[in-house]
Amino acid sequence: MTTPTASIPMYDLKQAVTTSKARVVGLLKMMSGYQWFYVGAILSLVLAAIGRAGGFLLIGWFVDDLLRPLPQFTDMTALAGLNAQSFTFIRPDLASLIPLVALGYLFLALVEGSFNFLRGRWAAYTAENVVWRIKNYVYDHLQRLTFGYHDRMQTGELLQRSTSDVDAVRRFYAEELVELGRIAILFSVNFIAIMTLNVSLALISVVILPLLAIVSVYFFRKISKKYEEFQEREAELSTTLQENLSGVRVVKAFARQQYEEDKFEKHNAARYKSGRQLLRLHAAYWPLTDLITGAQLITGLVIAAILASDGVLTVGDYISYAGMIGALINPMRQLGRLVVAISQGLVSYDRLAEIVRETREELGENVPAPVTEIRGEVVFENVMFEYDKDTPVLHNINFTCKPGETIALLGSTGSGKTTLVTLLGRFYEYTTGRILLDGIDLKQYPKSFLRKNVGVVQQEAFLFSRTIRENITLGVDHTVTDEEVIAVAKAAAIHDSIMSFPEGYKTLVGERGVTLSGGQKQRVALARILLKNPALLILDDATSAVDTETEAHIRNALREMNDKRTTFIIAHRITTVMHADKILVLDKGRIVQMGTHEELVNQPGIYQRTYEMQARIEDELEKELANV
Amino acid sequence: MSDEGQFEEQEFTSKINRGTVIRILAQVKPYWRWVLGFMVSISIVSIIEASFNLLSMQIIDEGIIGGDRDLLVSLFIQYGLRMGLLACLVYVFIILCGQLGERVQYDMRKKMFHHMQTLSFSYFDRTPVGWLMSRVTSDSSRISDLVTWGMLDVTWAIVNITTAMFFMLTINWQLTLVVMAVLPILLRIAMWFQVRILVQFRDSRKMNSKITGALNENITGVRVVKAVRREEKNLQEFNELTGGMYRSAFKAAWLSALFLPAVQMISAIAVVSVIWIGGLQVPNAMSIGSIQAFVAYIVFMMWPVQDMARVYAQMQQAVASAERVFALLDTPADIVDRPNATDPGTLRGEIKFENVEFYYEADKPVLKNFNLTVRAGETIALVGPTGHGKSTIVNLLCRFYEPRGGQVLINGQDYLDMPLHAIHSRIGMVLQTPHLFSGSIRENIRYGRLNATDEEIETASKLAGAHDFIITLDKGYEEQVGEGGVLLSVGQKQLLSLARAILADPEIFIMDEATSSVDTLTEALIQQGMDTMMNGRTSFVIAHRLSTIRKADRILVIENGGIAEMGSHAELIRQKGHYYDLYTNQFKQELEAKYTKAIETGEYDAVVIPADEAEAEEQPSGD
Repeated sequence: MTTPTASIPMYDLKQAVTTSKARVVGLLKMMSGYQWFYVGAILSLVLAAIGRAGGFLLIGWFVDDLLRPLPQFTDMTALAGLNAQSFTFIRPDLASLIPLVALGYLFLALVEGSFNFLRGRWAAYTAENVVWRIKNYVYDHLQRLTFGYHDRMQTGELLQRSTSDVDAVRRFYAEELVELGRIAILFSVNFIAIMTLNVSLALISVVILPLLAIVSVYFFRKISKKYEEFQEREAELSTTLQENLSGVRVVKAFARQQYEEDKFEKHNAARYKSGRQLLRLHAAYWPLTDLITGAQLITGLVIAAILASDGVLTVGDYISYAGMIGALINPMRQLGRLVVAISQGLVSYDRLAEIVRETREELGENVPAPVTEIRGEVVFENVMFEYDKDTPVLHNINFTCKPGETIALLGSTGSGKTTLVTLLGRFYEYTTGRILLDGIDLKQYPKSFLRKNVGVVQQEAFLFSRTIRENITLGVDHTVTDEEVIAVAKAAAIHDSIMSFPEGYKTLVGERGVTLSGGQKQRVALARILLKNPALLILDDATSAVDTETEAHIRNALREMNDKRTTFIIAHRITTVMHADKILVLDKGRIVQMGTHEELVNQPGIYQRTYEMQARIEDELEKELANV
Repeated sequence: MSDEGQFEEQEFTSKINRGTVIRILAQVKPYWRWVLGFMVSISIVSIIEASFNLLSMQIIDEGIIGGDRDLLVSLFIQYGLRMGLLACLVYVFIILCGQLGERVQYDMRKKMFHHMQTLSFSYFDRTPVGWLMSRVTSDSSRISDLVTWGMLDVTWAIVNITTAMFFMLTINWQLTLVVMAVLPILLRIAMWFQVRILVQFRDSRKMNSKITGALNENITGVRVVKAVRREEKNLQEFNELTGGMYRSAFKAAWLSALFLPAVQMISAIAVVSVIWIGGLQVPNAMSIGSIQAFVAYIVFMMWPVQDMARVYAQMQQAVASAERVFALLDTPADIVDRPNATDPGTLRGEIKFENVEFYYEADKPVLKNFNLTVRAGETIALVGPTGHGKSTIVNLLCRFYEPRGGQVLINGQDYLDMPLHAIHSRIGMVLQTPHLFSGSIRENIRYGRLNATDEEIETASKLAGAHDFIITLDKGYEEQVGEGGVLLSVGQKQLLSLARAILADPEIFIMDEATSSVDTLTEALIQQGMDTMMNGRTSFVIAHRLSTIRKADRILVIENGGIAEMGSHAELIRQKGHYYDLYTNQFKQELEAKYTKAIETGEYDAVVIPADEAEAEEQPSGD
């Protein structure tokens, strides 16, 4: 691991995708900073192509100028049908040039090779760097979008865009764009080189090419469609296999091995069939284009040979031409594949740009906070909130909480408890009214400051697949001693469970490590926030899966750790909420009852009924046991 | 799948095992005609390609320089004909080779799948599903690629080099020797490159899956990330991953970019020596056309060399794949029918565990000297802490595992003397986390008895209490489950698997109750379905709910691999032992869960208050 830097330099991708609607412009702008490497790659492409064409021309010149057949023997050879071996001679006056020609050829090969390498290296350098940057940006962007955005979007969808679509963009830079350039340049250079030999020959050399282009694009459209279908079959087969393996108990319990084999056979055969269909397309495509390119090649060669035997072209010209026409035609067969790939790349770009264009949540990291320390006085004044226009989830919320008080919220699902406390971290912005923290409107605090001082423990405890220690410490910036970690773990009543794992605090959580129970997860998440030691603590049903006794222990530990902290508790258990300084009972987004346990328990209403129900548990147990 | 431990994939093998290669080749043995077909066609293709150079030489020397127009025309006609033939042969080898590839994959997958069906639980316990999946999907395709396209490429390469050598020898033997000297060096370099490129690609693939994992975690955990303000640090850590990926991907890319030029350079050196030596020799040894042909042959040989190097790298990978595949295929099933196993015709009757010993790992016994006799039709509830042997007992009963010591007797006959099928087909099982297959609800229930009619399926669903919720779904019994279908709750899934078990009409019924909370209505339905099942059938229930436990004929408290307490509910409560603690605890929890549910949903009235208390209580009026 390298030493963590203060921050990762971040290229503003958003600016690249928003300045223009044109996708090409966006894609080019994303390259910014590396564009010269890319230009270098393209230039290398040109130079490599020139090196190649130069090699062909040199051989031609070598044949023409250094080697001369003796005319008197040539006719005889033709008559005799013998080959011309031993009838050609080198011009004695130019014999000394031979080493030079050899070195020249070597030089041109070196030019071609080096520039081919540079082209590959620079294109890869650009593509990989740009994509590295994109990946980081998208990752960062996603974690800086609002709760609201993540509520709307599905994980799978976001994941696909940030992985396979990013990869499609990478291929666009690294492969497709360069390949397209290579085809264009090979074509132009060789075409121009042939033009220098003979203009009409050059035109004849490309006469059938449009047909090749059309066939190629047509086939690759079909092939890519078929390929998608094939991939679906493959996925179905995988699903069948996966279900069989994970359901092995059911298969064995019902003795359904044969049935499963038949099912697998069905999918296996379908995939086989689909694979064959895909194959047939390929089997048709390659010979067909072989024929078309062959036809073009022969047309060119026949004309060139006639021109050569008529003396319009030299023999050396013909030899050069024979080399160049191949370089002109063959890359064209890739055109169809390229066109299809590029159009897919553009679609991916769109999907990616859609995420990037979303507005980030401004955390105000550099904005000074109006206070340096939070005392913890909270006042709600006529607060209203709605996720969607005109469907308020909180109406007219009014209450006051003094520093160090504990406020409990009780109410059914959807009554607005979670929304109410979430407003405190400004994860959502309240619509009307005011929330005052220490007398200052919450909106005047930068979010970054608020989130540092407001700690939320959510009901669905989310742990990362890291060690337990890392899970506890990931909320704090400074290095933490083991004693501190153990202290919070003890307060959250999870220390003993952690120590029962063979690796203790170094135990990995999740798929590759231990599976924690719901209650254990909740307590690790609680320890995490306790270590952060926020001025304002919010426990959103954070101990619902923890038993009553442990919960009481946690409550005492919390008080011992910091009794000046303002705490909000959401819970269903009366034993959890009864010790609060103030209890708010919510129903359908309104506060319907407010007071202490003693006040509310004597008041007809939701609180009293809840209390009565829970108080009955012990009675019922006694009765149950008496019945035996 | 785990990156660590015994399932770390060794993607390359440094030594290519002869036996493995022979066994790989055996995969295509039934299709030797296809292999022969594509090898012959690719060889002809290669020879035709080589002959083009010779033809070009003739065109130059005899047609153009010789000035024979008729000959020129006939030479070009030949050229065209050969191209036509070439195209036909290309078609033939693509079809043969491609079909063979599909076929080999099809065969191997079938073989592996079949073998996996015979393997025992113990194998699946220690082998992750992901590991098995990769064997069937990616390894089979690597192996088939090697025996088809790999073999094709090598055949082409060998024929190509041989014919080129032959033609070159006919032109000039001294120069041919020069080329021969260069060739092995070329091949060595090419192999060096290809292996390194593949390794880098593998590394970047691994990195990529880590990146996907990190992204997935960050998206699903975004609420925590924001709440603890971890954005900056997360990004730094993510940058480590993307940076690593950058390095290996970039290295793979530039190595690939270097590969071709390096090979080209070496061949260019060969060409230059030809020009140099050939140029000096021309007066007495070589024609212009033959020099051109010679150069063309050398350039041509670059491709076969490249192909051979690539196939070599692929082969290293494919052999490693094959070793894993064969290891899977060679794993014997632990539990198989004994010779002379006889089907007793029924499992109804007394079940007896006699001094049964069992362990998964030799030094950690799970069951010790376990004895139990169950009368026909009795319902046994197994309770006790997780990991103390409850599941092991039912797994042994099903003979998913066999006792390491002692015996399990069914109607007095050791069940090891019965065929597996006789046992499995007569036992019905409902698992804690019910497994459904993708497909319709009807198909999932029919899994219990494949020839059941739609009426029978509905009857079973009604008995299981699943019918009512099924018909509320848009497509009823035709509704798809799983991805792309409805998301069923754990309770609903249990109802479906109950229906499935009822349809199978087993002689012994085994149920592992769900621990996760199920809504009150569904729970009542499940209870009703279980009652139907247990009625008159020997039943074992790993019980979590009190209602189930209370109804059992006998309750077994399983602790430390043995029976800690045994008896009826009333007997055990009076004992005031483990069961008493377990029961009172569970009782409180269940009530609390029930009340919490009521409070959460705001349906206070759904909680039924016992009659005697309801009178004494003053019910506050609703709000």
